[in-house]
Amino acid sequence: MDALYRLEADKLDIFLQSLGPDIYAPVKTDAIRFQKISSVKEADLTALADVPVKDFFFRQREQLFKFTKGKIATEIKDAPFRIFFGLRRCDLNAVKHQDFIFIEKYKDPYYTAQRKNTLLFGYHCDEALNKYCFCGSMGLEEYHDIMFFDKKKYFLLNPGSKVGQKIVSEAKLKRAGTLKKKDTIPKGTDRLEKKDISKLFENSLWEKGADECLSCSACTSLCPTCYCHEVKDDVKLSDLKSGERTREWSSCQLKSFTRVAGEHVFREKRVDRFKHRIYHQLVYFKERYGVNMCVGCGRCITHCPTTIDFVSLINKMK
Amino acid sequence: MGRLRIGFYGLTGCAGCQLSVIFNEDELLDIIKLFDIRAFPFIKASNDEERFDLVFMEGLVASPHDIETLTRIRAKTKTLVALGACAHSGCIPAYRSFTLKENYEHLLYSKAKDIADVEPEPISKHVKVDYVLPGCPPDKKEILHFMKEIALGKTPKFNHNPVCVECRLNGNDCLLIHGKPCMGPITSGGCHAVCVTGGFECWGCRGPTGDANYKAYIALLKKKGYKKEFIKTRMMMFAGKIQPEEMKACLQ
Amino acid sequence: MKADYLPQSVKVLQKRDESADTFTLRLGMKVDHDPGQFIQVSIPGIGEAPISISSYSKDYLEISIRKVGNVTNALHGVKKGSSLFVRGPYGRGYQMSKLKGKGIVFIGGGCGVAPLKGAIEYVEKNRKDFKEIDLFLGFRSPGDILFTSRHKDWENHFNVHMSVDQIPSKTCYSGNVGFITDTLNKTPIQAKGTVAFICGPPIMMTKSIQLLAAKGFKDTQIYVSEEKLMYCAFGLCCHCMDKGNLTCLDGPVFRYDEIVRSRDGKA
Repeated sequence: MDALYRLEADKLDIFLQSLGPDIYAPVKTDAIRFQKISSVKEADLTALADVPVKDFFFRQREQLFKFTKGKIATEIKDAPFRIFFGLRRCDLNAVKHQDFIFIEKYKDPYYTAQRKNTLLFGYHCDEALNKYCFCGSMGLEEYHDIMFFDKKKYFLLNPGSKVGQKIVSEAKLKRAGTLKKKDTIPKGTDRLEKKDISKLFENSLWEKGADECLSCSACTSLCPTCYCHEVKDDVKLSDLKSGERTREWSSCQLKSFTRVAGEHVFREKRVDRFKHRIYHQLVYFKERYGVNMCVGCGRCITHCPTTIDFVSLINKMK
Repeated sequence: MGRLRIGFYGLTGCAGCQLSVIFNEDELLDIIKLFDIRAFPFIKASNDEERFDLVFMEGLVASPHDIETLTRIRAKTKTLVALGACAHSGCIPAYRSFTLKENYEHLLYSKAKDIADVEPEPISKHVKVDYVLPGCPPDKKEILHFMKEIALGKTPKFNHNPVCVECRLNGNDCLLIHGKPCMGPITSGGCHAVCVTGGFECWGCRGPTGDANYKAYIALLKKKGYKKEFIKTRMMMFAGKIQPEEMKACLQ
Repeated sequence: MKADYLPQSVKVLQKRDESADTFTLRLGMKVDHDPGQFIQVSIPGIGEAPISISSYSKDYLEISIRKVGNVTNALHGVKKGSSLFVRGPYGRGYQMSKLKGKGIVFIGGGCGVAPLKGAIEYVEKNRKDFKEIDLFLGFRSPGDILFTSRHKDWENHFNVHMSVDQIPSKTCYSGNVGFITDTLNKTPIQAKGTVAFICGPPIMMTKSIQLLAAKGFKDTQIYVSEEKLMYCAFGLCCHCMDKGNLTCLDGPVFRYDEIVRSRDGKA
């Protein structure tokens, strides 16, 4: 899967439109977020989308089942065929991690229903999009149906799946060389130094990060890989018996995350909560599943109100 | 078990919190099916004050009459709920505590001597409060949710998460990052971040979270160019009477 | 592991009060399980809660519940013959067959005795597989003592040590008074060939571990049962994660050496 095909820049819109009606791309509103577009001109590809695509698949609020008078029933509907265009390498890998945990490991029917009719079209970054990017340190892999390399007047397309290959073939695009491994990694993105982070748990610099932390949960809700959630019941006021059980995103940065009966909070200290997020992303997930959870998109830094840069914090640790 | 006998009362306040209850138009009939509304002087002509399982008390204590009403109702009530910011924290009316009487008296009343007033206080200063539904005004859906939990026999929990949690779930861009003095991170959530979602920064009407990092928050606002006096005024507006020790220390 | 949040309906065969705030439900559930595992019990509309299995039987499954929250309070209102929604069993319990030939010290405090009871019943059914058995059971007050109907049987088979922290005035009680850890401290125990199961309030667990260490127990001989907030119970919601361990999958029963890694400055 290293073949490249050429698509003229002015043909991009027709190419995408020919594939289906539901094309999503990053669009600048109050922030850059993925929205349905009618023309690729609406897309903003100048920066990393502020809001990742996570909530299209692992939705913020998902009904697990309905209950009525002693009976429970699920209603799971597959999402329509959708194409997401303009995903960066970090975001593609984030979807990979979520696919791995929700589909491969847990066969989660809710996530699968949202995800299965989706194609992922990447948009390659030649270099870091902002000074907090560190995807190059995270050992990312190729995970796309088609990756688009922007050459201004034309695009080079690299199909990464059978479906992607079929699309490229059917569009009768011309071969235009071979993709080299070194061209897949954005330049200047390896700022997290290689070290055994598991040995730094008692380092005093973590306190520095936690001192700045407002525990607002921006980091976890904008993280494209965080998948922690809680489960809630709600009933109709009219009978107090029928209702639904839902799962909703939750955040390890909040005290309520570990509050048990009797109001005991297991991770009470802010620094413990702060460390837990980073260790889950960089250590615990890897120990269990063999890959980093973090993809180095840097949103937890750029969108942190106090811009806590845990990467430079770790780099300073000895 | 019969329907719970409930009441809605108001002390000094604008009655907006009682309106928030009534704004649940679509559910009012369900509420009446579940609860026996014995008293609601704001909208009801005949009110029975014999005894209550549950009373929602709006407003703060600002006059001798308020103290009388509050203690009278509390004595007849099993469970008392502070409804809204005035009852919870004293809210804006309690702000007069932080300035001298002669600074405002002449602006308000021509014959100030005739006005009987007492030190403005949240109702918890005078009586035991079992639950708090904060906010100026409280969120109507939260009131409904609270009533549902009571009807189910559950113990409703106070939302300790900051406003930011719901704000992020609404997909909002952070106003602090754009330089607005949003109080989301130090304010208890449960309002569905209605202000920020409407483009207006949080003023902290629901009172302080138990987990606010005041030091980092104040430092951030200063970095964004806000003066200490401005920050103090904002933080005292709703929380002046219920300041946690940590907040007090940071505002010194 | 599959992400399956859907509970099944099961019948409540029996309900008995154990103390003022603790009760036992016997459920019509025939499942293979280890003692120390837990199930997710729910009342739709109220919510779901993880509850330890407190029995060991092929014919039924018992849970002993302390009224501490919304779900457990509502469960107390459930009557014999009605139905509950249940998922599980989940987690890693006490792997009894691997401990054949050993002596066991059970140390339980309050409702922490409930998960131990399942293991105790296992030992009762397989008495010859184990050597010396000591039970150290501590309760707040005489009125809080759990499973009194079983104590006679236990005394016939095991060395039972019981104590209450305090006696309220006007209570008729002739047993030991004081923390159960004090009894543990005073009782000679052979560490060699013995393992210890601990479940109770955090402070009791910490103290017990210290006392056992002083008696020559290694971390690998001590099993603790952890309590954490959980939602999914199969390792996906991550609420019960402590360091890298998921309490719902890797626990709730941990061998102590598995959870002490932060001692040497490691995560």
